[in-house]
Amino acid sequence: MLAGAVLGLGVAGCASLDAEPEAATPPAPPPAVALPSWELPPPPIDTGTIVDAERLHHTALANGLRVMVLEDPRLPQVKLGLAVRRGAASEPPEQAGLATFLSSLMERGAGDRDALALAETVDGLGASFGVSAGWDSLEVRVTGLSRDLDTLFGVLADLARRPRLDPEEAGKVRAETLAALERAKDRPQTLAAWNFYRAVYPGHRFGESLEGTPETVAGLDAGTARAFHGRQFVPGNAILYVSGDVEAADIVARARAALGDWPVAPVPDPGPPAPKPAPPARRIVIVDRPDLGQAQILIGHDGVGRTDPRPLAVSLMNVTLGGGGFSSRLMTVIREREGLAYGIGSGFRLSRSPGPFSVSTATRVPEARRAIDLILAELAGIQERPPTADELSHAQTYAAGRFALGLETSGAMLASLVELDIHGLPEDGIDTYRSRVAAVTVEDVAREARERIHPERAAIIVVGPAEVLQPALADLGPVEVVQP
Amino acid sequence: MPASARRLCCLVLLAAASVLPGPASAEFDDAALRTHVEVLDNGLTILALPEPTTPVVSFQVWVKAGSKDETRYTGIAHLFEHMMFRGSKNLEPEAHTRYVEERGGRINAFTNNDLTVYFEDVTPDALPLIIDLEAERFANLVVTEEILEAEREVVLEERRMRTEDSPQGRAFEALLATTFLAHPYRWPVIGWRSDVEQVTVEACREFFDTYYAPDNLVVAVAGRFELEPTLAHLRRTFGAMEPARIIPRSPTKEPEQEGERRAVVHFEVRAPLLAATWHAPPSGHPDGPALDVASEILSSGRSSRLYRRLVYDEEVALSASSAWWELQEAGLFYAFASVRPGGSIETVERLFFEEVERLGREPASPEEIEKAKRGIEVYLIDGLETVHGLASRVGRDWVTFGRIRPLAERLAKIEAVTAADVQRVVAKYMVPDKRTVIHVVPPPAEAPVEAEAPAGAEAGS
Repeated sequence: MLAGAVLGLGVAGCASLDAEPEAATPPAPPPAVALPSWELPPPPIDTGTIVDAERLHHTALANGLRVMVLEDPRLPQVKLGLAVRRGAASEPPEQAGLATFLSSLMERGAGDRDALALAETVDGLGASFGVSAGWDSLEVRVTGLSRDLDTLFGVLADLARRPRLDPEEAGKVRAETLAALERAKDRPQTLAAWNFYRAVYPGHRFGESLEGTPETVAGLDAGTARAFHGRQFVPGNAILYVSGDVEAADIVARARAALGDWPVAPVPDPGPPAPKPAPPARRIVIVDRPDLGQAQILIGHDGVGRTDPRPLAVSLMNVTLGGGGFSSRLMTVIREREGLAYGIGSGFRLSRSPGPFSVSTATRVPEARRAIDLILAELAGIQERPPTADELSHAQTYAAGRFALGLETSGAMLASLVELDIHGLPEDGIDTYRSRVAAVTVEDVAREARERIHPERAAIIVVGPAEVLQPALADLGPVEVVQP
Repeated sequence: MPASARRLCCLVLLAAASVLPGPASAEFDDAALRTHVEVLDNGLTILALPEPTTPVVSFQVWVKAGSKDETRYTGIAHLFEHMMFRGSKNLEPEAHTRYVEERGGRINAFTNNDLTVYFEDVTPDALPLIIDLEAERFANLVVTEEILEAEREVVLEERRMRTEDSPQGRAFEALLATTFLAHPYRWPVIGWRSDVEQVTVEACREFFDTYYAPDNLVVAVAGRFELEPTLAHLRRTFGAMEPARIIPRSPTKEPEQEGERRAVVHFEVRAPLLAATWHAPPSGHPDGPALDVASEILSSGRSSRLYRRLVYDEEVALSASSAWWELQEAGLFYAFASVRPGGSIETVERLFFEEVERLGREPASPEEIEKAKRGIEVYLIDGLETVHGLASRVGRDWVTFGRIRPLAERLAKIEAVTAADVQRVVAKYMVPDKRTVIHVVPPPAEAPVEAEAPAGAEAGS
């Protein structure tokens, strides 16, 4: 039985967005004195509900498995998922990459099907499937046409409960992962990121990439994967979610049949403690790539967590700084005014434990120093000149509008609800988002700029020719040159 | 979701690659069939598709001008696209973008070999603003020396990022420059560096006057809006633009290729890249559906032939894929593979071409044909999910075919494809004499690295 329709999706949100813009006016030409529409201020933020309670259903099975269904009959599709509330952040540092390794291995056979049979079954329906690992979750996904629900649901249940985790496949996955880690060094962005993590979180799991390192991956096998799977994939730690052309009662019945006898087991511990703040000293790492014409730049430090008490004020402050499309301060200075880069962005990684804050861009090598100086000046600038009332207002309408656009499809809507669930956040987080955005004040964002941005202790990572970069950056702080 | 991820990767790589066609028998509502089509007196075409069940509206302007229309400076179509964001008679530089983002809208544009597309995805209240902003820049663009200089640097940074410092970018640039000897598709969309460095204000203005005329534009709007007021708004804004009447096009056709071409690009890679093309028919050709089915059999999913042979069984590649790339005036069937570090690119190439040739030698199994058709069906239905996808589909169809192709029609053509059709088109097009092969490999240890040489310099040798 469903616990009842508690939340719901979609089209309801449209009603509130139905501002009947110029549509309400007759199609006659406007008077000559009419202002161009860009002279008019944006309408106030719409704080109406977004989730259509008629369409969203959730319940829990006796073994603790939660079930969330978002009905959307508009297209004959179905998207199935099963997420567990732990991911790579729960790995011991010496097994960095285990969650990613497990997710790849889970794709290589489940239930009665070996790797090839599983692929043939899903591909044969034109469907797709995958298992992915994040810092805070592992997710199994199967998508296809709703007429194939029987098979797709069976595949999902097998992937979650009965992955084969075959030792021979584990060897193939390990070899492929090691090769992919080596290939990843062909991307300057990756080289910058890896060295950034090491500089900001030394000795912590966050000090290495999600995928781990060649040394840690070399030590992973089917046994370690099986142990990790056994701890994380337990019903009390999991949520089943389905959107598309389905009926909630039918999905719940299928869940009971396929997952109702999934044995109860202890829910795993959250993992290691939050990272310690980075040491209060600036350091510079140059990753030597003499062949590059463009220097890849990554600047940043420790940040905030997903369940921080004031995440929205942090996000809105960041929209003004560098997270707001083409209109942010960093974009205006670095791209529009100086022509130094094709793009620049700043962001906080909001994982359960606080992840890093970083600014990322790339510019021609001779201009690397000037770009870094300008970025550091903007980081100091957001503290000395915190977002104005106009800037905050822009950030608020930007964030509220983007949020609504991002929930266009039922799949995206449900993914947002699952993300809240994974972090133990209130399930009305979607409906209250825009009013919470509207409530943020200039004092709030000024405080976040002061407390969260630390140019004086930022790590500066630059990928490019060390011969040119080292002398150019020498007076910024201690410089270390490393090989890719 | 390895299959879709790989496909996406290819589409990103081949910026202009169009959609794989498709499907079959599921029941669905093809919203595109409700598109209202109107041609204004000045030649502007409006495609308006009201879709009241969504909270979003997508507004797109399709310009029938791409890199193939460039005459003096390569890259001007793309550089010009950037200039469209840098101010007009009544708006400061970047004000357009700021107004859209202030409403939470998504705004961007892209240029490919055939066309340039500007788009905004917004909540419905912002549509009238978007129409005013777009009409303003299309009617009143201002190009100044100062702004061109700043934007030129931005584009050169984009070129460094996407092409000069990127193994994939180098491979792709060399691939087109070697595949085409004559047709304007031979130069990169972003342009050769020397041309981007020298484009003039006058050349920008001339490009604008020649191609940014209402009779060369298609406006596509899909999502939640009222039809009549929106049409009226478009008529009184875009309807006031002066038509060009004569829009020049390049007369050059690519001569038949009479033998395999090869080029090597030296670049510091750990994972060498194999890229290849065969000349194939352009968009809309009757062999298209069979080419799409062939590419599904070769590339789609973990049970596809290329994945199984090169990635899974032989473990020589990290990825391997192929697809029919439809352009307006020519088509290509392309191949792309990433070699495992330390592996042999020659082995990857041999296995890749063996798999392609086998598909032309022996009929595919009924299961493989069916699987390919289902994959295309699901892909096409997925395209109905967002109003951005709908507007893109009707816009692309209109500029390419002058009509909107119903999904049912595309699915019927896919359903009609037989194993013999697939075998025939592979045997017909994927022949060694029509092939171009690029290797991106590290420079030999004893030779100096010439990082500044454009990859295309080796082209056609």
